[in-house]
Amino acid sequence: MYKHNGQEFFVIDGHMHFWDANPENWRNQYGESWIKCFYAYHNALSPAEAVWPFDKFCRYGEEALVDDLFRSGHVDMAILNSTYLHEFYKNGFNSHIQNNVAKSKYPDRFLLCGSFDPRDEEAGFEAFRRMMGEYPISGLKLYTAEWRNGSRGWRLNDPWAYKYLDLAQQSGIKNIHVHKGPTVYPLSADAFDVHDVDYAATDFPALNFIVEHVGLPRLDDFCWIAAQESNVYAGLSVAMAFVHLRPRYFGEIMANLLFWLGPDKLCFGSDYAIWSPKWLIEKFMAYDLPEDLKQEYHVDLTDDIRRKILGENTARLYGIDIAAQTAKLARDGLAANG
Amino acid sequence: MHSDVPCEFPEGCDGSAILQRLDQVLDPELDESILDLGFVRSVELHAGHADIALRLPTSWCAVNFAYLMAEDVRHALLDVGDIREVTVRLGDHCAAAEIEAAVNAGQSFADAFPGEGAGSLAALRATFLRKGFLIRQQRLLRELRETGFAAAAICALRLAEVSVRDSVFVIQRSDHGPVTGGPAVILQRYLQRRAELGFDCSPTAALIIDLDGRPFAPERLQAHYEAARTMRIALEANGSFCRALMARASCDVAKTAANIKTGGRHVQA
Repeated sequence: MYKHNGQEFFVIDGHMHFWDANPENWRNQYGESWIKCFYAYHNALSPAEAVWPFDKFCRYGEEALVDDLFRSGHVDMAILNSTYLHEFYKNGFNSHIQNNVAKSKYPDRFLLCGSFDPRDEEAGFEAFRRMMGEYPISGLKLYTAEWRNGSRGWRLNDPWAYKYLDLAQQSGIKNIHVHKGPTVYPLSADAFDVHDVDYAATDFPALNFIVEHVGLPRLDDFCWIAAQESNVYAGLSVAMAFVHLRPRYFGEIMANLLFWLGPDKLCFGSDYAIWSPKWLIEKFMAYDLPEDLKQEYHVDLTDDIRRKILGENTARLYGIDIAAQTAKLARDGLAANG
Repeated sequence: MHSDVPCEFPEGCDGSAILQRLDQVLDPELDESILDLGFVRSVELHAGHADIALRLPTSWCAVNFAYLMAEDVRHALLDVGDIREVTVRLGDHCAAAEIEAAVNAGQSFADAFPGEGAGSLAALRATFLRKGFLIRQQRLLRELRETGFAAAAICALRLAEVSVRDSVFVIQRSDHGPVTGGPAVILQRYLQRRAELGFDCSPTAALIIDLDGRPFAPERLQAHYEAARTMRIALEANGSFCRALMARASCDVAKTAANIKTGGRHVQA
């Protein structure tokens, strides 16, 4: 529990990674370009004292991960957003298999995301069922811009994607994290278009769609969709990172999200290891919306709203009882004050 | 104004016409001058041949936008003075070789990058000119609202009733005293884009119009304003990334230069 102003805040980092971008794992020049692109974002928006050397950024390992999240990073629970990129990385970038190493060691701390790729069509059903059966999958992370055999992306409303969403729903999945964010070289910008979420959210009303990175830079498209669809949520990673170097801009993003979506649909995420939750959370808690934005948008960022954003909203999506979970976590020896 | 760009001009040529033209080349997405954004690394002119080196914030900046800016630079300079040839260079951009070869030969994007989806750059350019119009208008609306104008008063304003006085713009209606609106540049940028898009600019035309050139009914203005406001925040995302990446890159360059200096090696200024 993060403590601030004498109050407690349960933190779920809704978007983080345990990746392997060691040069030995690069399949081609894209593996290198990808992690260098990530590193440029890390280097550009982190406070100077939080910038890592590039080799650590490629592979930080389990100790650093646990430390940066739970021991010093104020995080109570974290969602492993599996990302595969098999065309760039020999063993994948951070597949559910890689991520499950952390999950199986700290089962109460992590929620593990699986995934599917509709371009596998029927041939992928068996592997999807096996993943759902053999791994403790709580949600899915979908990456519509991923390359596959010459295809530069897919859409959530492709017929085969709907078949997989049906399967996921039958397996008890409720939450779908969809990556819709800034272009990462070499992926195609068109594949980050947000509009497919609109179709899928309407056609699968029992599923929740958490749009990771709030569609940035397509924030407007995202807001129109999320304001209409009650099951579309905002995953704040990437947007959070502006809180340090571009606080005014961060305030404008938050004012817009609060204006269009309200405080119950915004979910904190760090995108660790691109950015570390420790400074993101500390700066977020110290941040107040500028007066003119409060007045123009008729919104505020109170401690109660911060509590929802940092943990309560995501806890609700995943059916986590915060009091019971806190008691459980107090026994694992990782808590900063435990 | 842009003395930080290294320039090399022949004797007797002050180069200001060239810089003025470059100042009009915009990053379409950010709707800002590539000079103000720091994208121009150097400018050289020798015997009617202009050589412009650009420096985009990252090596992976979208290929179509990079192409568009390179092409705009070439077109902007081709009819300045005795310039007969323009070479644009894109430094370490991931598609520098292809873009340079095509742009400097006057080829179109579709020819140079078949199959790169976005096909026509003209459509892309038009989309962003129109988005830029809404955003420039939103900034103007914000000033008018802050000055105390209600929706009905804003919708009733005519072009003849607004003008620039020194660094501010002024609203002068026949039955009211003059009111100071806000920074002149906010009005000027809006009017400039409005003219570029070919909308009616006669004195009796409504000041605030939609993308079809129609004036607004007052009850339609609030929703329009809220949508335009969010569009502005969306478009500023990439600008914010660019500035942060540029700032870090120049800081890293400075560090490298400092390291070289402390290493005692000769550094070419």
